Amino acid sequence: MKKALVGLLAFALSLGMAQKTLVFGSNGEPVSLEPGNITDGISIYVQQQIYDTLVAFKPGSTEVTAGLATSWFSSQDGKVWTFRLRQGVRFHDGTELTAEAVKFNVERWWDPKNPTRIDAAARYEIWPYLFGGSKGEPTSILKEIQVVDKYTIRFVLNQPFPAFPAAIASGYFGIASPAAIQKNGSRYGSPTGSAVGTGPFRLVEWRPGEQIVLEKNPNYWKKGFPKVDRVVFRVIKDPAARLAALKAGTIDFTTDIPPANLQDVERDPNLDPVLRPSFNVGYLALNPGYKPLSDPRVRQAIAMAINKKAIVQAFWGKLGLTDGHFTPPPMKAYQSPKVTDYEFSPQKAKALLAEAGYPNGFDLELWYMPVSRPYFPTPKEIAEAMAADLSAIGIRVKLQTKDWASYLNDRKQAPGFQAYMLGWTGDYGDPQNFYDPHFACPISDLFDSTRKPLCVKELGDLLTKAATTPNLEERKRLYQRADELTFNLALRIPIVHSQPLLAKRKNISGWVPSPLGSESFEAIEKR
Amino acid sequence: MWSYLFRRLLGLVPVLFGITLLVFLFLQLIPGDPAQAILGERGTPEQLAALREKLGLNRPLYVQYLTFVRNVLTGDLGTSAVSTIPVAEELKRRWPATFELALAATLVAVVLGIPVGILAAVRKNSLLDTLSMSLSLLGVSMPVFWLGLLLVYLFAVNLHWLPTGGRLSTDLAIDFKPLTGFLILDGLLTLNFQVFWDALRHLLLPALTLGTIPLAILTRITRSAMLEVLSQDYVRTARAKGLAERQVIFKHALKNALLPVITIIGLQFGTLLGGAILTETIFSWPGIGSYIYEGILNRDYPVVQAGVLVVATAFVLVNLLVDLSYALLDPRIQYR
Repeated sequence: MKKALVGLLAFALSLGMAQKTLVFGSNGEPVSLEPGNITDGISIYVQQQIYDTLVAFKPGSTEVTAGLATSWFSSQDGKVWTFRLRQGVRFHDGTELTAEAVKFNVERWWDPKNPTRIDAAARYEIWPYLFGGSKGEPTSILKEIQVVDKYTIRFVLNQPFPAFPAAIASGYFGIASPAAIQKNGSRYGSPTGSAVGTGPFRLVEWRPGEQIVLEKNPNYWKKGFPKVDRVVFRVIKDPAARLAALKAGTIDFTTDIPPANLQDVERDPNLDPVLRPSFNVGYLALNPGYKPLSDPRVRQAIAMAINKKAIVQAFWGKLGLTDGHFTPPPMKAYQSPKVTDYEFSPQKAKALLAEAGYPNGFDLELWYMPVSRPYFPTPKEIAEAMAADLSAIGIRVKLQTKDWASYLNDRKQAPGFQAYMLGWTGDYGDPQNFYDPHFACPISDLFDSTRKPLCVKELGDLLTKAATTPNLEERKRLYQRADELTFNLALRIPIVHSQPLLAKRKNISGWVPSPLGSESFEAIEKR
Repeated sequence: MWSYLFRRLLGLVPVLFGITLLVFLFLQLIPGDPAQAILGERGTPEQLAALREKLGLNRPLYVQYLTFVRNVLTGDLGTSAVSTIPVAEELKRRWPATFELALAATLVAVVLGIPVGILAAVRKNSLLDTLSMSLSLLGVSMPVFWLGLLLVYLFAVNLHWLPTGGRLSTDLAIDFKPLTGFLILDGLLTLNFQVFWDALRHLLLPALTLGTIPLAILTRITRSAMLEVLSQDYVRTARAKGLAERQVIFKHALKNALLPVITIIGLQFGTLLGGAILTETIFSWPGIGSYIYEGILNRDYPVVQAGVLVVATAFVLVNLLVDLSYALLDPRIQYR
């Protein structure tokens, strides 16, 4: 009897003390857990749990807040950024976070000749992409990294870059333990190597194709976090299978649910749909390198002829919106109040076409993507809907596509595609990250009549000025003007800002999805 | 026998060479630049050029091919261009999953297909015959993807009898360190019956899904082979001399009908070893098929080349085993 009681007690205790494991249904396999070497969203999602960034984003927003740095400021001319680090923070391997460690990390991302880079693949594409270039390149925004003292680091720039803290806050730039990188060599961040940061969870095991196991970091600097003992990333690539696993309770929460499943999730008594704030744009690019499209009136006519509201309603329902702005809703402060979308009017569009000299329309090749993206989950069907709208004003659309790698590449080879669908998801919370890749001179995937990459001088100059102006109010004004200009130019017609659909089981709380595509699981609780 | 085996193995060499050459050439036909596929939307022209250089894509085609062959001959299957993990390491880790699933699916096909095929032949034109042949037609033509999801929704989501996918439950997988990678076997070897039972439960639905098509084919082949044998003179003789029907069927007819059946089992098993992309995808089964498939999508040439080479070798070896088994079944066949 006594034995039975003791057993019962032990059982009750073990229930009470059972480890809380959070199981996340990952829509794919990470490529690498090495920060700065990779841009794929799945890798970044796991990295968000292991690493912290210098500056962080407030949950659910693109507003910056303290991360590993407690404070930061720029010089008067905006060319020097100084960050003060949080003291007493340790990596999972016990080494301390210092300014030297931060410098070590940034040097690896910035300098192609850095000996601690993993050599198997020449990637590290994101630093030069966001910061103008690599070390040694004339376009590089970064000039020098200075360690001021053990806990202070300074970045000297070649030009003012007001978005520097926001850019370095993006999930690509988790700070890793220099000791671990040196110890692991080329195995760092791979399934057989380690991945060591200061984040809420530490890596225990990565079994490719199956699961990644992370354990609570007991020494996490944010007191009281994380809320669970373990996080498991279970790889389930197929969306239907992932939803089934969520329904069966095999996983607790997941991303990348097709919009068509929203009702299904809503109807399930055990599940909650979760919406990620929109931070993307799906657009139709019109290449002025081709004759009729070189006339802005023709491009505007196309913008008027496409019934965007109906298309968004049909393909995204509650999960999308269209408002004429190229930047998504979180960038509202930088959007011009003067921009309201073109009214859908085939009559006006037809009149505008006639005015431009094309009363009987023309032939147009419209390229649609061969892959699904959150901004265009079903590109072909959406393209067909646009083609139907355009045929109403006499534009005879021929739909085209090719494999994804060629699609990305060939649009940049002069004379490029006539009209094509593509989109963008922001890397960090600054309008520069939306405007520069699409409108700064020269525009790599739109061309002028001489087959050279297009440059709209007024817009290009405006964007250069906006990107380097340290004064926030002035920047807002400049980007609002850019909003008006891009709207009138109609080179890229924004079709949708979509909200990716996520889902969780009812016993999961505290999950605040970031507009930037992934977030830390530190605040998530499981009942 | 031994000299036959030696000659067959020697014959493998040109076959495998041909396969590597074909795979290499087909890969060149796939449009798209591997460097662009790896770097995606954000790759700059300089980075693309650097990556092409690193992957050796700038070298003449014959140099690329010869380098690949030379590496294979020295035992180096290459490194994935995407994950930078050696392909051999990944294939070694994944093949037990594929082998286990292929074996289970073949088992499903054999255990159900042969008896049903025999019964259908013995009771030709009966209700059972019509029913089993209609079902097998359905089995061949039903899309695997749809069948798999149907089974998942029925047995996992609604009835909660079986898991939805993977090879082990999350909690068990965290603590259990596999010995051989064959989880059912590992469960037995380590006397961890919880793992054994859990792995078995996880294997059931994918094996059933994957086994459907071989099952249907095997049922039909067994039936037609048996029908042919049953109409032979020696069967009539056996019956005439008063043997029990059971003895006639199993001892005289079945043994002679087995040759085409074994051939089909071998071929099907070989095919399953190549991985079952759809089944592996629905059930998140970490096998070779999905690995090669991902490699194709990512233009990860080393993965596709080495993966196909390994699978092709396995296929050819299975066929060799099938050929050798003929001699065991039919004493008239001898290999010299």
